[in-house]
Amino acid sequence: MSLQLSTRCRSALAGLLAMVALPAMAEDLQMWERSGGNAGMVDALVAAWNEKNPDRKINLTYIPHTEMVPKIAQAIASGEVPDLMGMDLIYGPQFEAAGQLVDITDKVKDWPELKTAVQGHMAVSTYEGRLYGVPLYADVSALFYNKDLFRKAGLDPEKPPTSLAEIREYADKITALGGDVKGYFLPGSCAGCNIFTVGPLMWASGATIEPRDANDEPLQGDGVKEVLQWARDMIKAGNVHEDARAETGETFHLRFGSGKIGMMGTGNFNITLAKEQNPSMDFGIALLPGVKSGQVSSFAGGDIVTIPNGSKRIDDAIDFMKFLLSDETQVEVYAKMLNMTTRGDMTDNKYFQAEPKVQQVAKAIAVAETPYTLKFFELINSPQGPWLQMLQRAYYEDTDLDTIISEAKAQMKAIAAE
Amino acid sequence: MHSKTSSYVGLLYVAPALAFVLTFTVYPLVQMVWMSLHNWSLIAAKKFIGFGNFVKAWNDPQFWTSLEFTLKYTILITPVLMVLGYLIALLTAENRPLRQFTRSVVFAPVVIGLGASSLLWYWLFSYDFGLINRALMDLGVIAKPVVWFGADADIALGAVIVSIVWKVVGFGTILFVAAIHAIPGEIGEAAMVDGASYWQRVRRITLPLTAKTILLVTLVSVIGSLLAFDQFYIMTAGQPRNLTATSVFLIYLNSFPYLKLGYGAALSLILAGIILVCTCLQMLLSRRSHA
Repeated sequence: MSLQLSTRCRSALAGLLAMVALPAMAEDLQMWERSGGNAGMVDALVAAWNEKNPDRKINLTYIPHTEMVPKIAQAIASGEVPDLMGMDLIYGPQFEAAGQLVDITDKVKDWPELKTAVQGHMAVSTYEGRLYGVPLYADVSALFYNKDLFRKAGLDPEKPPTSLAEIREYADKITALGGDVKGYFLPGSCAGCNIFTVGPLMWASGATIEPRDANDEPLQGDGVKEVLQWARDMIKAGNVHEDARAETGETFHLRFGSGKIGMMGTGNFNITLAKEQNPSMDFGIALLPGVKSGQVSSFAGGDIVTIPNGSKRIDDAIDFMKFLLSDETQVEVYAKMLNMTTRGDMTDNKYFQAEPKVQQVAKAIAVAETPYTLKFFELINSPQGPWLQMLQRAYYEDTDLDTIISEAKAQMKAIAAE
Repeated sequence: MHSKTSSYVGLLYVAPALAFVLTFTVYPLVQMVWMSLHNWSLIAAKKFIGFGNFVKAWNDPQFWTSLEFTLKYTILITPVLMVLGYLIALLTAENRPLRQFTRSVVFAPVVIGLGASSLLWYWLFSYDFGLINRALMDLGVIAKPVVWFGADADIALGAVIVSIVWKVVGFGTILFVAAIHAIPGEIGEAAMVDGASYWQRVRRITLPLTAKTILLVTLVSVIGSLLAFDQFYIMTAGQPRNLTATSVFLIYLNSFPYLKLGYGAALSLILAGIILVCTCLQMLLSRRSHA
């Protein structure tokens, strides 16, 4: 009898606790973020927020990168949306144009932090003059070069190349070292890696790539052909490892740290990675150049944080955005982890000052661009898209480059017109 | 009256199965047909366009490239799976310990997930770290490592075929072994008494009496090959230049990352039609062999 009573008491107590605990759990903000991005950074940001806001914590769920867009689309269609969404910034315009995100313009218009927020992120967060998100984290591309190989090839390790012609000249000398060493790296089967590292070479050379909409002309400027010709010549000269042709992005981030590549375009994430992978390797960072000396550019990638229509916690979500852009978060979370700050005016901080390589790559923020198009995946990021097809034909075929470019243009225009 | 009541009772018995089929087969199929007639994105309002998506498929060069590649893959891999599977079945049909063990080893990869096995083979074929390049170089077959994926569509296709043959040949083998076991022993014994050699018995007795199983395995293999996706998604990602993108890969791309549900549905219906034709042909052949 007493055992039964005890069991009933315990059951009642458990039920009571559950009733008390449920509302507390229900108050958590639900946030989705793609996997395959900068998870370490997002984890740290959410942890910092949760520490300061124990009564409105964020519950973070990672969605596989390749499933993020359909998953968001399904959530929107079914009305089961999270309160906050971190998304690859290039998909921003597509969801903004479809009217699926909360317009935050009026709530944030007086924030001074927005004036110095990364321009590329702000551009893709804006549609028809209205703002739908703020930067979550930023990755920028730059030219990484191996100072050890520079020395061996008789090059000055403190003078990185400042034009495509110089890259070619230096690459020839590094490749001539022989063995398994090559002067440069071009990822042959990875659309995303190429827009991140070859796109800036074209932008720096005065070209444009993607059409903003159906009325915009893609692949404008001589820089497109000049960069393609340069890349074709680099490959024909043997300056790129043969297996680069099969690089789908799986091992792209590990290439530079191998110590077998003289120079390559990669991202700020490679600073820590290359050090871990090859601690004895001495390397430097410069901006990705264009055809002429002095022309530079970069790709500002990363994620933005947005609020899907249907979110029940819009004000809390806006507070999280404010928290992300605050001076303290910029320095004590982003910079402390040696990640790019998402505000240009916060790059001069104690953590970056202690790490010259980060200072160097941070310069890319000022010249970085981000493609703005409603169909980024189809046009650029897809392995079946016209961008990668154009590059592969330019890299590995002998077809006339004007023909290749004009066919890619036609494909891009057809996609933009749909 | 009695007959009418019996009909209702019968209907009641099949009702659960009928409800299941209507809910999970007929309704999605009708929905897909409806979807294929629209410009349909999950994040924007749908728009009726009639047969526009089918016309678009007809004029889409990538649709034909993918279909041609899928058919090529099917035509190449099916005979390999059938002949190899049958030969292994002949070799291991007898129930002796070593042969039973061999059957188990051949069948083992069938229970591994296709995604996992594709990833395994992706790394085995790796240019730098792969065992296959290393082994071929050590054996003197090749002078320098081969770029298996991303450079040449035919080389990539060959590599994928090797991985899939390893993965699924055991499935056919087990079915063939079962069919061989079902042949009455006295037929073979009578043939032996008449002086028939081993290959004569295989050709005149085993093959004809296992013909239905051969056709069944062919059909399963053909359908599986026409629906190939995982292995190419993981191992080739459609490269080089989309030449190794299968039909299902194209359906996936349009339906999910591109959010073109209508076009994806139209492509799915076209592929379903092709598979239906293959199935009808198999049934026709099956009936003829039965006759």
